[in-house]
Amino acid sequence: MFGSVLDVIVFFALTNPIVGWATLKFNFKWLCGVYSLAGLSIAGVELYEISTNAFSRPLEIPLSPMPFESYLRIDALSIFMALTFIMIGFFVTAYSIRFMESEGGAPLYYTSLLLMIAGMIGVVSAGDFFTFFIFWELMCISSYVLVSFRRRHWEPVEAGVKYLVMSSAGSAAILFALSLLYGLAGTLDFIRLANAMRNPQDIWIYAILMLMILGFGVKSAIFPLHTWLPDVYSAAPSPISAILSGVVTETGIYAICRVLSTIFISLRAEWSMILAVLSIITMTFGNIVALLQVDLKRLLAYSSIGHIGYMLAGVATGTPLGLAGALLHIFNHALMKGNSFLCAGAFIYRIGGRRLDEIAGVGRRMPVTATALGISLFALTGMPPLNGFISELIIFTSTIQAGMIWLGVCIILNSAISAGYVLRIIRALLQTTNEDKSADVKEAPIIMLLPIFLMATLVLLFGVWPDPALKLAMKAASTLVLKG
Amino acid sequence: MLDCYVMFSAVLFIIGVYCLTTKRNMIRMILGIEILINAANLNFIVFSAFRAAGFIDPLGHSIVMISVGLAGCVTAVALAITIYAYKHYGTIDIRRLSRLRG
Repeated sequence: MFGSVLDVIVFFALTNPIVGWATLKFNFKWLCGVYSLAGLSIAGVELYEISTNAFSRPLEIPLSPMPFESYLRIDALSIFMALTFIMIGFFVTAYSIRFMESEGGAPLYYTSLLLMIAGMIGVVSAGDFFTFFIFWELMCISSYVLVSFRRRHWEPVEAGVKYLVMSSAGSAAILFALSLLYGLAGTLDFIRLANAMRNPQDIWIYAILMLMILGFGVKSAIFPLHTWLPDVYSAAPSPISAILSGVVTETGIYAICRVLSTIFISLRAEWSMILAVLSIITMTFGNIVALLQVDLKRLLAYSSIGHIGYMLAGVATGTPLGLAGALLHIFNHALMKGNSFLCAGAFIYRIGGRRLDEIAGVGRRMPVTATALGISLFALTGMPPLNGFISELIIFTSTIQAGMIWLGVCIILNSAISAGYVLRIIRALLQTTNEDKSADVKEAPIIMLLPIFLMATLVLLFGVWPDPALKLAMKAASTLVLKG
Repeated sequence: MLDCYVMFSAVLFIIGVYCLTTKRNMIRMILGIEILINAANLNFIVFSAFRAAGFIDPLGHSIVMISVGLAGCVTAVALAITIYAYKHYGTIDIRRLSRLRG
């Protein structure tokens, strides 16, 4: 119905409650998680199979026999983003099997998780705004459920309320912008909109641009609209923080890329400037506030805001190289920030606290987790042999090419600031403490350790050998630019 | 005629934003979100009716159908979370939900 990849994920999501009922019968708690893992693996294989065709010519899947166009359009960019989503989804699901074991309600959890991944894949492979908006809301609604999943505690509920109000107001702004766009152009198809908007004379187009940046900015936590993010990331269960920070926020960046470079290409001078200024404010704010945090997950959340700033800088240049850098940074950031949140989750699982003074000295008790956290943290600052360096270098180069050297200088300064809080975490991990509190702390269970270890390996691997990811990102960026 | 309708939906959108920014009751905020979505829905209906004389574009109507359903889902989740917030805090005043700091 939606093409093989989406079909598989939606099928596994909807049959998960039946499996959950079987779980009660067979007394095997992990069944739902293992079933979801199987679904994501099959979706990965399907994605690989369609990828070779989609690179040469975009794959079009019509969704309705109605008189208007509503279809999925899978091109290189969709493949690149969907690959990131499925990979992070796989790691997060594997991790959740043990982490969420004691929570109960496993079928609901895995159904929402799979539907959220399906929503994101649908967003990136939509060919018109009608399809786009439906999948966008699917992603948003399941993320509201997941954030306040641990509803017996006050923290997730409060964070969920904030997230829901801000994010659904953002969605409404997007819908209003779409209605104006529909009135202006008479269609919501990306390609036809791009043709219709080539020479806009109407003043309304500025209102549409503003509402779109506002709506997507809420989801991707651009500076004045970021206030939900630290609360949500620190209150949500750690695997959910990992997937929210790694890919859900970045779906907003993808939407900004797609919308600006297809529909608003004629206003490039305007949005380039707006995004450059927003990007500088966002990254500086995120990194400086992260320096003041004492809570590990809250610190990582502010660092995410900083990285959103780097991606926006790549988008702001508007060149193929800048877009490729932003896309590659989405991929790399998903790996390193996802891994950092999973490591923070492992500490919470074993120690029960997440403040920096509570995890002091834990590096000696949980060496594998601490090493993996160290690798991904250094990647976050952009240290050379790791993957963060490659994408930050590409974004920096693209800003110089586009003649925005001040933007590039800000990126470098911010990398230096981010080293400050990373070193604070490393110091806390290695500290020797007098108390014997952490004496009986063991290494995290093997099934949680496996995704952490694999992601840390990938962070190293894509730092030493970035060619495959870089080529894919270049190809994805070129589809985005040619269409405009 | 088209101008009047678009003006009306713009006013409706502004009312929704006003409701979200000034109201402190969570139920009222959910209603504010509904008003925002309905402003957009009205716009879709109007534009689909005014595209050509004697012709109504089905695209606008389909979007409104779907959007009404999605708004229902959002409201359902929002009300569920509101119930849990009431259980934890004993109030639905959004100002009291400010224990998360930093």
